[in-house]
Amino acid sequence: MAEKSGASAEERQLLRDSVRGFLGTRWPVEHAVERAGDAAAVTALWRELSGQGLTALGSDLTEAGLGEILLVFDEMGRASCPVPLLGAVIANLALRQQPSQAALLDGLHRGVNSVALALGDYDGDSAAGCVDYANGALTGTISFVEGAATATHFLVMVDEPSGLAVVPADAPGLSVTATPGLAVPALSELAFAPSRADFVALPGEMVAELAQIARLACASRAYGAAQRAFDLAIAHAKLRRQFGQLIGQFQAIQHKLVNCLIGLDGARLTLDSAAASYDRGDPSWRIFAAAALAYSGPALRQVVLEAHHTLGAIGYAEEHEVPRHFRRVHADLARFGGAPRARAELADYLLG
Amino acid sequence: MSTLPALDTDPAVGRFRDEVRQWLAENWLGERQAAHDRKPFKERGWDAEFSRLLGKKGWIGLGWPKEAGGQARSPSEQLAFIEEMRYVEAPTGFHNVGETIVGPSLIKYGTPEQKAEYLPAFLRGERSFGLGYSEPEAGSDLASLRTRAVRDGSDWVINGQKLWSTGGDKAEHVWLATRTDPDAKPKHAGISVFLVSLRSKGITIRPSMAMYGKTFSAVFYDDVRVPAGALVGEVNNGWRVITDALAAERVMIGNLVAHLRRVFDKVTEHVKTASPGGRRLKDDAVIRDRLGGLAAEIEVARQFVLRNARVVESGRAPLYEAAMSKVFAGELQERLSEAALDLLGSGALLSEDAATAPIGELEQVLRHSIMGVIGGGTAEIQRNVIALRGLNLPRPGGG
Repeated sequence: MAEKSGASAEERQLLRDSVRGFLGTRWPVEHAVERAGDAAAVTALWRELSGQGLTALGSDLTEAGLGEILLVFDEMGRASCPVPLLGAVIANLALRQQPSQAALLDGLHRGVNSVALALGDYDGDSAAGCVDYANGALTGTISFVEGAATATHFLVMVDEPSGLAVVPADAPGLSVTATPGLAVPALSELAFAPSRADFVALPGEMVAELAQIARLACASRAYGAAQRAFDLAIAHAKLRRQFGQLIGQFQAIQHKLVNCLIGLDGARLTLDSAAASYDRGDPSWRIFAAAALAYSGPALRQVVLEAHHTLGAIGYAEEHEVPRHFRRVHADLARFGGAPRARAELADYLLG
Repeated sequence: MSTLPALDTDPAVGRFRDEVRQWLAENWLGERQAAHDRKPFKERGWDAEFSRLLGKKGWIGLGWPKEAGGQARSPSEQLAFIEEMRYVEAPTGFHNVGETIVGPSLIKYGTPEQKAEYLPAFLRGERSFGLGYSEPEAGSDLASLRTRAVRDGSDWVINGQKLWSTGGDKAEHVWLATRTDPDAKPKHAGISVFLVSLRSKGITIRPSMAMYGKTFSAVFYDDVRVPAGALVGEVNNGWRVITDALAAERVMIGNLVAHLRRVFDKVTEHVKTASPGGRRLKDDAVIRDRLGGLAAEIEVARQFVLRNARVVESGRAPLYEAAMSKVFAGELQERLSEAALDLLGSGALLSEDAATAPIGELEQVLRHSIMGVIGGGTAEIQRNVIALRGLNLPRPGGG
């Protein structure tokens, strides 16, 4: 549970402006596509982000709470920026009071370490695999892990005993295989056969909370991507002429875009509400989070579909920005159990 | 009963909510509500005696300014009040139009005489109004209305026809939109609003049953004379009066959302406890998935309503935000009641008059759901508003 976030509305806007401004110069959208698959470029940007304090996000919730964390993910999604922030935030939240992990976090904050997160036993997707931890070693296979190509460490959630296993990327017995697909950069499969691991014991409830925060972070990143795709569609509808008029004058287009706005705002309001309830210490925050995830999954995916419909063939070329967002939105919302897991969580809450 | 967690982040709002709940427990729940529920369905929701009780408590005009006799409560407090009232189906039909549309308009545009005559009566829960907006040829395109008001000496003479007026057969007065300049361009520049007694000579009211189980009326005006003092605001400035009145009504969307929460909670309770044919509904993965999805949508509807309140509190009129919440909540009522048919099966078809109905109101909620989508500005019109005001898209038509 959070200690209570202190950021005011003005501070949040400053944070948003500063992240957006920084990414605008260091990760310009016109190069986002080619650089996303370039591990050296991602690593270089990660170092620069450490100078902004962003690799320490999650270390001090009184300074930047979950609301601010989600805001940064929103901006990362908007900029199509694939830095390993997910692993960093969860590592900071989970390990900040663990003296044994001080060196890992110190390197993370200086931008020389990069953590890839595997939800493992807490993933929510039964195909994600599972791991066993015993006698100082981790055994098993985990799929659908992001940020593996640039990772110096893997953080793996373990069910029994409950806690987090920390595995250096060069640990003997660990093999990392890229699994190409919709997500760019590709997700990876981790095989621990077995691998030496540090283990940080944590109550299962706390690990589950960290997994829920990871889901919210991904949903926020998807929101940023969907919002950006929508902004491009709106701009296009105000410029593109067909049949002698702007396509934004057609009610078929207007109502489609209005439905997108409803989806976007519904997602943002529920994500904000979940973060705010976490930051004020409301024990119901996980239910609000589940509602946000259950709604955002289908809604944001629909937004990016409609953005493509509005842009037509112009937005269908891979060099256009929108396909990037299409991939991001789907890859971020389908993982970790997606909307079906969130709906099940709400049903569990209501029905027992 | 299982329900989504409470969301009052302001302790003052939470305290007021508790006070309202306590008062309703003492003054509505129990015998008064039971007596109300024994009335035929079409009579429910309209209770002059309860409105007077509420007025005596000082809880009509919660959002009105203090100088007008109101309590100047914050939008969040008003919302909490509306939610608590609706969640227990406390009747507001008698005073609702006066409180939310006529009163706020008179505060802004009324003469001292109009204010003196109507405002205290509204606050006491002693005066009922219906709306006279739609006509056979003026539904979504309200500015095309044709009911004529013509000046004749010190009176106005009204001729025409209004349609689909809910409460038209029960109310004492009507808030009537008329055309006072047939040549005005644009056409909404020739509209004026009048306060008219429905007992006036020349008025014929013909109620008919709407699908949701209550009446709406066709009201005919044949040479109906009203005094000059019945005109609200300036002649031909009625469009402004009408649209401002809609602004005052915006927090009311919380009413529908509270209703949906109540219906959803009942469905949840049924799923939680029922075992038709020995099969527990709550063990069915498909039912759980559907119910979880609806819970998320109910939460979204609540967030939209809370945002409206925040926008009003920030001093801005939530023009497109309110339209978004209305579209979402209206269409959610359709989805919720359609889903109930799948969750409960044939049992959801049975009304409260069927002894074996699992939840006897779902089929009514389904019939009623159409009203939320077409009434008070259809979902298509709302989307037009959002496209223009929220997205700044160009107006349809033209080059």
